[in-house]
Amino acid sequence: MLVGGAVWSLTLLPLAWWAEQTLRYQPWDIKEFALIAVTIVVTLGWVLVPLLITGLDDTLDPGRFATLGVRGKTIMPGLTVAAFLTVPALFFAVVLTMLAGSWRPYGLDVWAVALVGTALTLMMLVLSARVAVMWASRLLASRRARTVSLLAGAAGLALIAPAAWVLFQDGLQLVVEYDVPVLIEQAGRTPLGAGAAAAGSAAHGHWWGTWVRLAGLALWVVLLHRAWRANVEYALVHPVYRGGGTRQRADSMLAGMARAPWGWRRWRLSTPARAVRIRSARYWATDPRYLASMVGVLAFPVLFFALIMPAFGLDARWAFVAPVLLAASIGWGRHNDVALDSTALWLDVVSGQLGREIMWGRMAAIVTWALPVVLVAAVGTLAWTGLWSLAPAVVGACLGVLGLTLGISALTSVLLPYRAPAPGENPFGAEVGSVGASLVAQLISSAATGLALPLVTFAFALALVVDPAWGWLALVTGLVLGPGSLAWAVSYAGRQYDRRAGMLVASVS
Amino acid sequence: MASTGESAPHAIAIRGLTKRFGALLAVDEVDLDIPAGSFYGVVGPNGAGKTTMLSMATGLLTPDSGTAHVHGVNLWAQPAVAKPKLGVLPDGLHSFDRLTGAELISYAGLLRGMDKDVVRERRDDLLVALDLDSAAKTLVTDFSAGMTKKIALACAMVHAPRVLVLDEPFEAVDPVSAGAIRRILGAFVDTGGTVVLSSHVMALVERLCDHVAVVGHGHVLAAGPLDEVRAGQDLEDRFVGLVGDVRETRDLAWLRQS
Repeated sequence: MLVGGAVWSLTLLPLAWWAEQTLRYQPWDIKEFALIAVTIVVTLGWVLVPLLITGLDDTLDPGRFATLGVRGKTIMPGLTVAAFLTVPALFFAVVLTMLAGSWRPYGLDVWAVALVGTALTLMMLVLSARVAVMWASRLLASRRARTVSLLAGAAGLALIAPAAWVLFQDGLQLVVEYDVPVLIEQAGRTPLGAGAAAAGSAAHGHWWGTWVRLAGLALWVVLLHRAWRANVEYALVHPVYRGGGTRQRADSMLAGMARAPWGWRRWRLSTPARAVRIRSARYWATDPRYLASMVGVLAFPVLFFALIMPAFGLDARWAFVAPVLLAASIGWGRHNDVALDSTALWLDVVSGQLGREIMWGRMAAIVTWALPVVLVAAVGTLAWTGLWSLAPAVVGACLGVLGLTLGISALTSVLLPYRAPAPGENPFGAEVGSVGASLVAQLISSAATGLALPLVTFAFALALVVDPAWGWLALVTGLVLGPGSLAWAVSYAGRQYDRRAGMLVASVS
Repeated sequence: MASTGESAPHAIAIRGLTKRFGALLAVDEVDLDIPAGSFYGVVGPNGAGKTTMLSMATGLLTPDSGTAHVHGVNLWAQPAVAKPKLGVLPDGLHSFDRLTGAELISYAGLLRGMDKDVVRERRDDLLVALDLDSAAKTLVTDFSAGMTKKIALACAMVHAPRVLVLDEPFEAVDPVSAGAIRRILGAFVDTGGTVVLSSHVMALVERLCDHVAVVGHGHVLAAGPLDEVRAGQDLEDRFVGLVGDVRETRDLAWLRQS
């Protein structure tokens, strides 16, 4: 991972050099604009990527120091240095320094200001990422984690919604011409763009503006560092994953045996499978690791719908890709499902030859929330576009994609399990030594998903572009292939679970 | 032996069990017979292969070679027949800790396919017997180490197995609960059940067990009735004699207070 990241970063350096050369001979205002825009995009990346793609954040987790009884003050210098000695931090240090070099034609003093601004910006990036991850872990570990993550999701949507609304209203060209410049100019007055804007002020002689911007950014960096330190101190005395003294009144394991939810009565699962379903459902509702992945599946569909569609001015029919994408993200996201049990799965293993029951129970717990979510997304999209004639196509594609991707995940989670964060560990953390295995498992499950999806999306695509009547074929293929492939895959995965039962505990621990 | 089924004299019969982790031969061609109705202690120094051996005898770890029979049923060939006869308490593994204590016992019972009313009855009995009734409604994640051990022991017993295989069952358990567990296990053996437990504590094994096996460096160094293995010595002396004492004693003069 480290070597791969470093090599990949090196291949991007010529691009940065080319950008620097291009910018060097531009007027100062265009240069300032471009550099602020780059800073905004990079900051968004630094804050969002560790949250959305769990397992990327392999910097030192302060929770690991909790048992050593050290004080936050003592480990902060070490943590701070470590945070800057990562491949992304070093890569962006080099790239931003190269870009700052484009101010050289304005004299040494302006260049010096640009370098100071770059250094402060880099600190802001690294610290923002740390603060974002720690706050997110802290929220997800709280007793009201479910409510909090829903609120966070809603807040995220609320942030994107105005942007999406403006994009839909005006179209990309108008937005780029009028709104984006205003946004960038404003960002230049905030810590976000101050590092890049300071050199611009210096270049046209506004030294007063330069000092204000640099001082503001420095203050912001100090505040971020304080926030981080406060979080580290909190983490040192609050291990992540405690129940917080939660008391459960009834034994929901036995209560769940008495009543079968509506619709399950006919298809009632066996007793062990129902027990596994109830246990999995409890984890989906309360475990930070599951909650993080539940929020994460929304990222791609929402980004597609709210930003990519309006930005490229895509036809309204493209909106139907969003619920299908949602179904695929949910299904693909479960490709390491079994490993999240960690070594607790010994109880499942010693209790008999239960592979099929265990896999059915797990999948039932996922389908219980995933199916309504996907269907609501599909119906919502239909209502938004008003193209109800496409309903069979969309519903068919969603069912087919959900069933197929969950089926693939059932197989990979048994055949290619890799170490996941154990219960009680940071849901955004990666297990040391698991990166190679996780890469293989992710590549294989992605490739399998890519190969299998046309089976259930071909008729859907025809319905979108040729004739809505194809939607009926999409509905039939979705209804047959979705549940059918899921049922086959879960049974097969169950048999494999039994065959590999004596290796599972070892491979996830 | 393998064909004698239910009337097999051995609760667990291990033949040629071998497990290698890379360069380390953790368990090397081990043979061991555990008579039905015995209270069997497995002792050995750290890293001797006790946990690896017991994991292979209970279906948690696939052996590289060899067989394990539970009351005459080949565990790795017929797990669906053999596993219901076993109750297992592993050491050092997680529990499903988002469930409450009561729910974890119910979960273990339901996984075994038991009727929910029977599960409820036994769950309540176990919670009282192991002094866990106050913790029944608390999430396992908030349990102390000893409570986690006790709740896992309850999970191992809920389906009334014929053989209990317990890895370090008394570790971190307070003396009062340890007494309760000893009485429960003693009564289980008196009524024909078999208990296999691993421990570092010789005094405990000497007090509880009627049979003992000494494991070291992946081999069984001695096995049989307690008095035979002791050969007139204290078990601890005999144990040190079998596995060898620390190679060199060094005087830690700097540790002395005066």
